[in-house]
Amino acid sequence: MDCKGIQDRLLAIGAPGLIGIDLPREPDPKDKKDKGRTGEPFLLVDAQSLPAFLTACRDDPELDFALLVDLTAADPAATAPELWVHVQLLSHTKRHRLAVRCAVPKATPSMPTSARVYRSAQWHEREAMEMFGIEFVGHPDPRHVLLPDDWVGHPLRKDYVYPEEYHGISCK
Amino acid sequence: MSILDLQKPVSRIAEERRLPGGERELTVDVRTQDVEINMGPQHPATHGVMKVLLRADGEVCTGAQPHLGFLHRCAEKIGEKLEWLQFLPYTDRYDYLAAMNNNHGYSLAVEKVLGIEVPRRAQMLRTICVELNRIGSHLIAFGTYGLDLGAFTPFLYMFREREWMMALFEKICGARLTYSYLRIGGVYNDAPPGWLSELERFCDVFDAKWVEYRDLLMLNKIFVQRTANVGIVPPAMALDFGLTGPLLRGSGVDFDLRRDLPYELYGEIARDGAFTVPFGTGEKGTVGDCWDRTYVRVMEMREAVKIVRWCLDHIAPGPIIADLPKVLKMPPGQAYVGIENPRGELGHFVISDGGRVPVRVRVRGPSFTNVAVLEAILPGSFIADVIAILGSIDVVMGETDR
Repeated sequence: MDCKGIQDRLLAIGAPGLIGIDLPREPDPKDKKDKGRTGEPFLLVDAQSLPAFLTACRDDPELDFALLVDLTAADPAATAPELWVHVQLLSHTKRHRLAVRCAVPKATPSMPTSARVYRSAQWHEREAMEMFGIEFVGHPDPRHVLLPDDWVGHPLRKDYVYPEEYHGISCK
Repeated sequence: MSILDLQKPVSRIAEERRLPGGERELTVDVRTQDVEINMGPQHPATHGVMKVLLRADGEVCTGAQPHLGFLHRCAEKIGEKLEWLQFLPYTDRYDYLAAMNNNHGYSLAVEKVLGIEVPRRAQMLRTICVELNRIGSHLIAFGTYGLDLGAFTPFLYMFREREWMMALFEKICGARLTYSYLRIGGVYNDAPPGWLSELERFCDVFDAKWVEYRDLLMLNKIFVQRTANVGIVPPAMALDFGLTGPLLRGSGVDFDLRRDLPYELYGEIARDGAFTVPFGTGEKGTVGDCWDRTYVRVMEMREAVKIVRWCLDHIAPGPIIADLPKVLKMPPGQAYVGIENPRGELGHFVISDGGRVPVRVRVRGPSFTNVAVLEAILPGSFIADVIAILGSIDVVMGETDR
């Protein structure tokens, strides 16, 4: 099933939180600044209902997304008002993939955890937590995974300030 | 409950009986105190710098917590600071045992956003190198696994074949470990004269050696006893934990990205029926035990040789790289490409806003997700089996930590 077919199916089963679809498009010939968009289509989902949405994707027999392959975040720009959370799902029986994007405001980056829907989300969320400062409410094990426990700041944010030193070690 | 909550030693009288002489005989049920063991960061069986905080009750492991990050080198942050073409050498360095596969994943993701076509000869050379590297990576995984379990000799045999593989890579790209050979748009260098015939010779020799590996280690009685029925990952658990690659197939799930969601030439190769996908059946024990995972890796090496042979049969002269400018002009867009790395699904997720540098380069390393399963399968196993389970996961710490 392609992304459009998956969206139709999700609408048919009434998956919670589905906002829309973002398809690749050609540049608008009238607008010179518009460069279009290439790559893959993805679904836009409300961040607060992501666990319920993922549950619907996992349990529907037509979609059968048994694997959450990746969950990560992205900071589009230093001035952007929100962070994006990207999820990649995979179905090994139906042989299709789905890309999902949620947006959380940078001022209060908080959303419910998906670790109880897919166990694989647990470590990916830990990484997104330390790297982007997104709070996954209800996470069973919210420790740092790659960074030291006392690391200050969220390194993958575009406005991250590099530290001068770490425990007496110069970072210059 | 946290792993740090140590239990107090408890003893209780389980049975009490009077002996004929009037003496009392007591059977006391002793609960030993849990001991915490730091396995690593420097431990030969963790294959890199990983720490596993183990809690042990006598000989039995009752809790495990992997600690990562000792090798964190900020690959994703570096990706946001460099131009698209400049990031390629960094991809070599996360999974350093399968650098070709990493180059491949990143190139495919960037090519998907660019929307360019790779010349057919380049695709052939890519497939050959990627499969050769898969053989090399599995040789290390299998050889060092034997080493973990006390079989020293097979390890040396496997390094012999890997040495030849690296010599082949050296001839085609000049490097032995960090190749940067697969570039965005194609490959960096055409095969030198005589390289393809030497490759054919390698395939012939490897096919003969493969039987030795199987008999020497995989079917070795001691090896089977150490690995069968140990570290069982049931299929449902494997899917829940997002395991991919030999771990997922070892748990009896018949799924391979090369056949089921094919990229580049793999669709054509799979249609030709050039390779099959081995998966665990619980031949020596239970489905999803350490032996099944090893079995999948050993069988995959022979399938990789078959794919190389298919490429040798179909390779034809032609250009080896698409025409691209020195500084890539990327359109805005995003793409996720997951490829079948020796350890599982290696995902590259790139976002472009049309600028000179990427907005986001995300690397989804298979080892990172695979190592999480330790939290679930180590408790309840013997301390001696911890080594066997760790080795069967086949982690490369450079990739978990990136």
